[in-house]
Amino acid sequence: MEKIKFVIDGKEVEAIRDQCVLDVARQNGIYIPGLCYNPEVKFSGGSCRLCLVEAHQAGRMSLVTACNYPIREGLEIKTDTSLVKRIRKGIIELLLARVPDSDVIKELAAEAGIDEPRFVKDEGENYHSKCIACGLCIQVCEEVVGVSAIAMLNRGPDKTPGTPYKKPSEVCIGCGACAYACPTDAIPMEDNGDTRKIWGREFKMHLCSVCGKPYIPEAQIDWIVKTTGKDRVFFDKCPDCR
Amino acid sequence: MAIDIQKVDEIVFGYEQSKESLLPILQDFQREFSYVPEEGIKRLSDIFGVPESRIYAMATFYKAFSLVPKGRHTIKVCMGTACHLKGAPFVVEAIERELKIKPGQTTEDRRFSLETVNCVGTCALAPVVVIDEDYYGGSTSENIIKNLKRYT
Amino acid sequence: MEHTKISTIEGLNKYREKILESKKNELPTVFVCGGTPCLAKGSRQVFEAFKKEFGAQGLTGSVELGIKTTGCQGFCNKGPLVAFADKDIVYMGVKPEHVPEIIEKTVKKGEVIESLGYRDPQTKKWATEYSRIPFYGHQKKLVLKDVGQLDPAKIDDYISRGGYSALAKAFSMNPDTIIDNIEQSGLRGRGGGGFPTGRKWRSCKAIKTDVRYVICNGDEGDPGAFMDRSIMEGNPHAIIEGMIIGAYAVGSNQGYAYIRDEYPLAIENMKTAIEDARGLGLLGKNILGSNFDFDIKISRGGGAFVCGESSALMRSIGGNVGEPRAKYIRSVEKGLYDKPTVLNNVETWANVPLIITGGVQGYRKVGTKGSPGTKVFSLAGKVVNTGLVEVPMGITLRELVFDIGGGIPKGKKFKAVQTGGPSGGCIPESLLDLQIDFDSLSDAGSMMGSGGIIVMDEDTCMVDVAKYFITFLVGESCGKCTPCREGLRRMLDILTGITEGRGKQGDIELLEELCDVLKWGALCALGTSAANPVLSTIRYFRDEYEAHIKEKRCPAGVCKELITYRIDEDKCTGCTVCAKKCPQKCISGEKKKPHTIDASKCIKCGVCKTVCPFDAVIVE
Repeated sequence: MEKIKFVIDGKEVEAIRDQCVLDVARQNGIYIPGLCYNPEVKFSGGSCRLCLVEAHQAGRMSLVTACNYPIREGLEIKTDTSLVKRIRKGIIELLLARVPDSDVIKELAAEAGIDEPRFVKDEGENYHSKCIACGLCIQVCEEVVGVSAIAMLNRGPDKTPGTPYKKPSEVCIGCGACAYACPTDAIPMEDNGDTRKIWGREFKMHLCSVCGKPYIPEAQIDWIVKTTGKDRVFFDKCPDCR
Repeated sequence: MAIDIQKVDEIVFGYEQSKESLLPILQDFQREFSYVPEEGIKRLSDIFGVPESRIYAMATFYKAFSLVPKGRHTIKVCMGTACHLKGAPFVVEAIERELKIKPGQTTEDRRFSLETVNCVGTCALAPVVVIDEDYYGGSTSENIIKNLKRYT
Repeated sequence: MEHTKISTIEGLNKYREKILESKKNELPTVFVCGGTPCLAKGSRQVFEAFKKEFGAQGLTGSVELGIKTTGCQGFCNKGPLVAFADKDIVYMGVKPEHVPEIIEKTVKKGEVIESLGYRDPQTKKWATEYSRIPFYGHQKKLVLKDVGQLDPAKIDDYISRGGYSALAKAFSMNPDTIIDNIEQSGLRGRGGGGFPTGRKWRSCKAIKTDVRYVICNGDEGDPGAFMDRSIMEGNPHAIIEGMIIGAYAVGSNQGYAYIRDEYPLAIENMKTAIEDARGLGLLGKNILGSNFDFDIKISRGGGAFVCGESSALMRSIGGNVGEPRAKYIRSVEKGLYDKPTVLNNVETWANVPLIITGGVQGYRKVGTKGSPGTKVFSLAGKVVNTGLVEVPMGITLRELVFDIGGGIPKGKKFKAVQTGGPSGGCIPESLLDLQIDFDSLSDAGSMMGSGGIIVMDEDTCMVDVAKYFITFLVGESCGKCTPCREGLRRMLDILTGITEGRGKQGDIELLEELCDVLKWGALCALGTSAANPVLSTIRYFRDEYEAHIKEKRCPAGVCKELITYRIDEDKCTGCTVCAKKCPQKCISGEKKKPHTIDASKCIKCGVCKTVCPFDAVIVE
């Protein structure tokens, strides 16, 4: 792994060639906002556009997303210029009009100095709950869980995560990874006694043989046993009681 | 609607089992059944081992596909720039009034499906309406209604 | 001709000689235009009439060689067009009943039938020679040279006109020399971006890899553009030849042609051409004894404009939803299946054989220093002559619109010309003397785009045009990134408000702010260039926006909510046609007396204006 140096906000910093700007910035305590990127998920990022920064290279400047911009020799990054702030503010205002109920977005808007969006807030048929359509849930389900129960459906303004035909998915294992990964807490997951409801389907939860707590969907145990060959006995106890 | 699953298999097994074949297979579904049936997506998913959600996402992304059966005749009103300037919006509205459907919909008797399309590339004929395979150039709110009568 | 594999360059030359030999001493071949507009106007019936008459008039020889259907001959609004091999004659508006006379006079005796030619609207004089018809006379056909002069479904036609000789020449060259040639020719990507083709090839070649791909982008999605369609339909082998040369130069063994689903004939002709080339050994293993293997697969698009964007196109080929990805690592490095990939547009590939055959100097003789060569445009909209044209780069918009296009119909005033489709802009009259090349159009706030030229007259509302393009883009945005997915629909809301009389002060500025966010913030070129139609109309036609916003008035009389229909009493003869056709039944009046429209019931459907034989319906 080739180590190289580059400049971020005037500071010379070391990085691995082709590592993304956002990871290195965070390691160095430089704050860049961003919602759709998760370093654990290879194909995440690039969609919310909140992590835009100025990239100066070979005498040219462009705005790039820090979450997937590869660091190479001679790169200089500026994270806090007036251009960056202006475009980021514009994006936050658009998101605020889309999901006015999202606390995460409201907080970002307050930071950027936006009280109210200048656009009509989405409501009624157009209501997106808190979903910013960033697609992270989809990537988690595909890459991390390996199930692909959900996908990004439709296109343009109608783009939305969902199951085929909006029916309860036959392949979903109820693990809830999508809900945990969601940056705006937009995926409803209800745990009620020994059942869990997510994506319109109810899952029976497995109870810990020691403390009696429902802690994992039976379907998820089946999936893990099937794909990894792990002994089913392992799941008798919850992580706390193991 | 029941779908001949044998037809589905004929199409699916006619292709190399590679992701590159997904789009052409869906196109064949569309042509064979006038839509992409749920059974077809499920079967394709099973045979190819590609998640159903992924195939379904493709069917919702590309405009060539419909998830509901189409009418016997498809009316495509070109919405290209030249057609727009020369009055295509009037033509669409006239068809909407006549058939009482909006673009993307099918008449109750399944005689017609109405679509607006981006540009069929025959700008010299603007405004153009394509009904099935027939191109009607110089369409107006007036003559298009007469032309619809040729299709039963 | 019998099709057996040709295994050497000499074999190809011999094969060509044989074709030419078999054609000797025949009467001139008749070319009936088989472009879609001509077909819609009945050219198939003309073709059938020729076939029938061929025998009836006792002509000997093969009908197949005597009568051919060709690709688009260009002058689309004058179709069906008929031309003749090696003769400077073109006939327009040909009907089956003209066919016996054409065979009798033109085919048999070489006589010209003036009345089937072009009639100049001013001088009323007839012309049948290309050079004397302004639409053709101002053109420079290089890429389109063979389109309209051969049957695109016959590989022998292409070979007999020198086809695949550029490939033969390329095989005698070092691959790096080919790249040098392309680079020195100054060829720039005809798909719109204008990126130097040679540099693209060189970058791809420079990457160490086991596999490289070449792709032909035939996903021509700009509304009002049909150049690539015409080349794919009219001369597919030129594209294939260009691709083989490119693949040989960069070291690729697999090509893809991604073709728009809405172009069935283009798909069919490309498919036939690929199969025929394979049949002769021009695709496949060890092409012409060069030890070089290459083949091409066709991918049919699924109806998504965004797939014209290279990274989305590559995802689509791979069986995915066509979403673009960030191109921080370019596709020449990591393209299709993450392998180095050269993607060029249809017209770019078709330029390649010309450069190899004519040499760098020959190629650079045409066009400008920064943009050598020609450009194929599709000319449409409010212009007298519509069709497919090829002109040298550097020609002015005025020449294109007025000399070739014949100006604006019905004596209306020119307002603007739109280039570059949804990524381009509207150029006003004051810039009509602008020379067309990649750089000057960008400077004017538009872009070359793939070559759609839409002419707009005084009856065109520029706010409506901006709304039209944004509507288009909202429908075609993939929805992956926030600025494009959210920003465009907000722009559309504002533009809709303006055109419906709800515009308010600050709307223009808010539009400009959104344009700024898209330009800098969007993921792919669809989003970053989406501001152009709005910004260019604000820049050059701000007064029209202001008339809508401040005076609630649409100067061009287009925006429904801001106009009314009435009948001119002096012109109305009381023929009652409008009253009968009005879907609202809101036109009344006595027979033979002027009629009136009840504005309270009128839905502004425009039917009365369309049907009125006396032009008495006024929109204000």
